[in-house]
Amino acid sequence: MVYGSSMMPTLNLVGDVVLSEYISHRLGKVSPGDVVLIQSPENPKKTLTKRIVAMEDETVSFSVDPSDGDRSRTVVVPKGHVWIQGDNSYASHDSRHFGPIPYGLIQGKVRCRVWPLACAGSL
Amino acid sequence: MFSTLLFMDPVLNFTVFQVCIYLELDLVITDMGTQNIIWNVCKKYLTIGLVGITLTDRYAGVCPIRGSSMSPTFNPSLGSFTDDYVFLEKFCLDKYKFSHGDVVIFSSPTNYKERCVKRIVAMEGDYISNVNGASKVPEGHCWVEGDNSASSFDSRSFGPIPIGLIHGRVTHVIWPPQRMRKVDRRIRQDGLAF
Repeated sequence: MVYGSSMMPTLNLVGDVVLSEYISHRLGKVSPGDVVLIQSPENPKKTLTKRIVAMEDETVSFSVDPSDGDRSRTVVVPKGHVWIQGDNSYASHDSRHFGPIPYGLIQGKVRCRVWPLACAGSL
Repeated sequence: MFSTLLFMDPVLNFTVFQVCIYLELDLVITDMGTQNIIWNVCKKYLTIGLVGITLTDRYAGVCPIRGSSMSPTFNPSLGSFTDDYVFLEKFCLDKYKFSHGDVVIFSSPTNYKERCVKRIVAMEGDYISNVNGASKVPEGHCWVEGDNSASSFDSRSFGPIPIGLIHGRVTHVIWPPQRMRKVDRRIRQDGLAF
């Protein structure tokens, strides 16, 4: 069950149930565009759901504050790390705030949504 | 595939799944002569294997130590024939409560497939002195360093690590027998905090 507004409109505010698996990331089969479950780098007891935007050694350009002007920064993701962002740029606390996260914090890959049934399917 | 509706722990899920399959197969093969004996032996090994995997994944485990970044605590001499084996406990991962001086095993932030063993020198909120002055360890992170500062690839190179990367805490050295003892929490007195 996922909740929060950082992945809207892909995932709803509350009550979406997603199917996730815990094997792909151990085999290294995770790539940009995947929605993953990660352990928060600021609080190891919290699990976040975000999308991977860039893997190691790739460059990321992002806007520093989407609601306030057009300033943007470019960052190279260091080795062994990934850059994650929520789909809802305005309400997501992600790599734009705490930086790239080590790959070891990824806990699983989200495959599809199973509830509510009307929206079931891949993300 | 494991649904998040069941358990968040994949090993527990897998164990429950395997136990269900094993019970179903048990019902099917009940009157088959010699095949029964082989099946009984297989059942025993399967049970022991499952219990073993569950225990080592969630509660405690044994692990060899390679390298000399934690000398003299582990592997004190370069020419020793065997690596030290240590006992690590995973109960600390329940609440993620660590303290200064704990020796921990964690996934390396530069390569998730490697595991490193180092000592926690500073927790979140502490200040660490480095060449740029003093920097604060961010929330949810810890600063780890090896006991052998001269040859240790640790937080002085890759910065503070998120506590979520930690896989367990080392409590005892269990091999070789002449070095069997408890690993103490040792707090360094130099350059730790302002």
